[in-house]
Amino acid sequence: MAHPNLLKDKYIIDVKKQRWLWLSISAIILIPCIVAMIYSIITYPSHTPIKVGIDFTGGTIIKYDIKTNITTDQMADIRNELIKAGVENPVIQNMSTELKTEEGGVNYLLSVTTPFIEEGANTAQVITDVLNKKLEKADLVSTTSVGPTLGKELLKNSLAALALAFVGIVLYLNLRFKLDYAIIAILALLHDALFVIGVFSIMSLLFNIQIDGLFITAILTVIGFSTHDTIVIFDRIRENNRFLAKKSTFTEIINASINQTMVRSINTSFTTLLTLLALYLFGGATIKDFTLAMILGILIGTYSSIFFATVLLDMWEEKRSQKRA
Amino acid sequence: MRNKIILFWVIVAIAIFSACVVFTSPKEGQEAGKIFNKPASLGLDLVGGSSLVLEAQTTDTIAKITPDMMDSLLYSIESRVNSLGINETSVRKIGEKRLLVEIPNITDPERAKEFIGETAELEFKKAVNVNEKGDITWASTGLTGKDLKKALSATDPAGNWIVSLEFNAEGSKKFAALTKELIGQPMAIFFNGELKSAPIVQDQIIGGHAQISGDFEYQEVKDMVDLLNAGALPIPAKIIEENSVGPTLGADSINKSLVAGAVGIGCVMLFMIMYYKAPGFIADIALLIYALILFALFKLIPVTLTLAGIAGFILSVGMAVDANILIFERTKEELRCGRSLFTAINSGFDRAFTSIFDSNISTIITCIILYLLGTSIVKGFALTLAIGVIASMFTAITVTRNFMHLVFGTGELKHPALFGLKASEINNEYKASETTKENAKFGVLD
Repeated sequence: MAHPNLLKDKYIIDVKKQRWLWLSISAIILIPCIVAMIYSIITYPSHTPIKVGIDFTGGTIIKYDIKTNITTDQMADIRNELIKAGVENPVIQNMSTELKTEEGGVNYLLSVTTPFIEEGANTAQVITDVLNKKLEKADLVSTTSVGPTLGKELLKNSLAALALAFVGIVLYLNLRFKLDYAIIAILALLHDALFVIGVFSIMSLLFNIQIDGLFITAILTVIGFSTHDTIVIFDRIRENNRFLAKKSTFTEIINASINQTMVRSINTSFTTLLTLLALYLFGGATIKDFTLAMILGILIGTYSSIFFATVLLDMWEEKRSQKRA
Repeated sequence: MRNKIILFWVIVAIAIFSACVVFTSPKEGQEAGKIFNKPASLGLDLVGGSSLVLEAQTTDTIAKITPDMMDSLLYSIESRVNSLGINETSVRKIGEKRLLVEIPNITDPERAKEFIGETAELEFKKAVNVNEKGDITWASTGLTGKDLKKALSATDPAGNWIVSLEFNAEGSKKFAALTKELIGQPMAIFFNGELKSAPIVQDQIIGGHAQISGDFEYQEVKDMVDLLNAGALPIPAKIIEENSVGPTLGADSINKSLVAGAVGIGCVMLFMIMYYKAPGFIADIALLIYALILFALFKLIPVTLTLAGIAGFILSVGMAVDANILIFERTKEELRCGRSLFTAINSGFDRAFTSIFDSNISTIITCIILYLLGTSIVKGFALTLAIGVIASMFTAITVTRNFMHLVFGTGELKHPALFGLKASEINNEYKASETTKENAKFGVLD
């Protein structure tokens, strides 16, 4: 026998009554993101929503171990010296981090970014010489160089990958659920992707952050996760709908399903967040932005599956029943 | 019950096998085995080394790059890389006109870069015009590095380093004809467009031997010999991407990832025990088995672990317990309805399965796309994450379910606290009104 309290329970959220509340919260979060993205697309020479690094534009980054700390004045001095030596448009960054090797201590790293150094050019040697003159010691630890055509190709491939991921997920959800569920899940994904890209767009305006090839990977992983959360709730709605469709409204079914799945939605995101936080705090500096993007993505993905996708699903159903009537 | 015990021992066997694969690696000087004693393969960003992407260039004479040309380019780049004398280098074709060269543990990446990208064109030229200042205009003679059989480094009687050349049959003929023609005149030897030496020809030389002498350092001679023996590049190639990482930075990355991994997995395990009690503990054991199986797979396939790949693995740990959370929440719900333990565990697994399956497929879809379109770093991440998701389906579902049945048996729930439930919660929950058929499907028999 059905215990009647499922539909009489106090709902954590009511997708009909609070519809405009949740939609406006989403709007408040997303509008600054979209504004920053549009502003960036117009103003940056690369016409991208976020400042892109050498992975996308082409260029060379050379990192040096400089043994001791370095002041901002010294950095400006080195920059001037490099320009004098004929190095085109050098960007110098202090990247010192705590070292996690047997010897321990702090790793004083300095990176120099320049336009792509063609094969045979002695620019790398010139930079090394200038640094060795200006600093006590500068050992070259890593070189990353990406040709300009390769950069453009990566940008193109990344956008293609994003588009393909969206299509792939719509097709799969369409197969497993109904098309309307699939479309709403994709809207939730767009919501999440816009948020993460938007936050990075704002950060690159404020703190001059540049994204690399891994960022696209983070966005794609976020998309995968976000679908994950949405599926858990949709799956429950579908199941409840089978049993309860005759005695309750669709809105009530959605509300009840959110009640039932709330704990697991939060817990699954929480365990993933735990591992990401560990990576963010203790992992290497190279993957910091990558993990940050995923942390933001998990947070917004959980929010959107509970508060955004469900509201949209309710609105969609309402439209449909009105049409039928 | 018998099947469950058999399954339990199968799981134990898989875990022990995986542990043996993971924890045996060849010691210094020991030979690597096929399954056990296999070394983990670590990416260049972890061990330090250079990875270069070369792109074949079209020229005036080569309008289109054919697969045949790429094969011979691959061959000559390979022989050059081998002559560096470093172990475990690799040269692979990527796409239609690119080569990926990987050189681990290299001390001087700049030199390697020059060495690999060098066209290595050897040419013999004759003087055609000398102006009043003594500047000479040189013209090709048709004798090039292609006519060479082999090159050797040697010293002349005075102890200076020289390159000794031996021509093939065709080259010997050409060389004999050329020296006959140029008696009393200079004959220039150009290497990579640079004049190396221009001796005056004293007499016709038959027998196909020649030498390049000059004021050479040993290294210079050795490089020339290696390049000449490896042959000139059949088509010019340009380095379009480079990634070089020093060994200290690599060691730092490994250690940081280990710390991050240990902290992350530890926190997740602690959370599972605190929130889900006994089932949480079982999920933790399944998680450890998961980590063992995954690392064993990485070694066996083998998957080259990069920094991003390790991030993918740590992330997959968070996802592996996702399935357990879905299952346990569902089991708790069924227990609250007053179902027996056996039924509650079974229906918890069965009903959570569709969401677990669907959501994992969506992750695998994105992994496939990343793998197909991504760069090599991204590929590593996608591959480890995908393998992780698949392995986690086995451990989070099959392994946990088996352990739960063996531990809790079939009786009534006597200690709800084991599941983090209060006695007052039992039998106070909504039950879906299901048909007998649906109940039967989920193993519900009450």
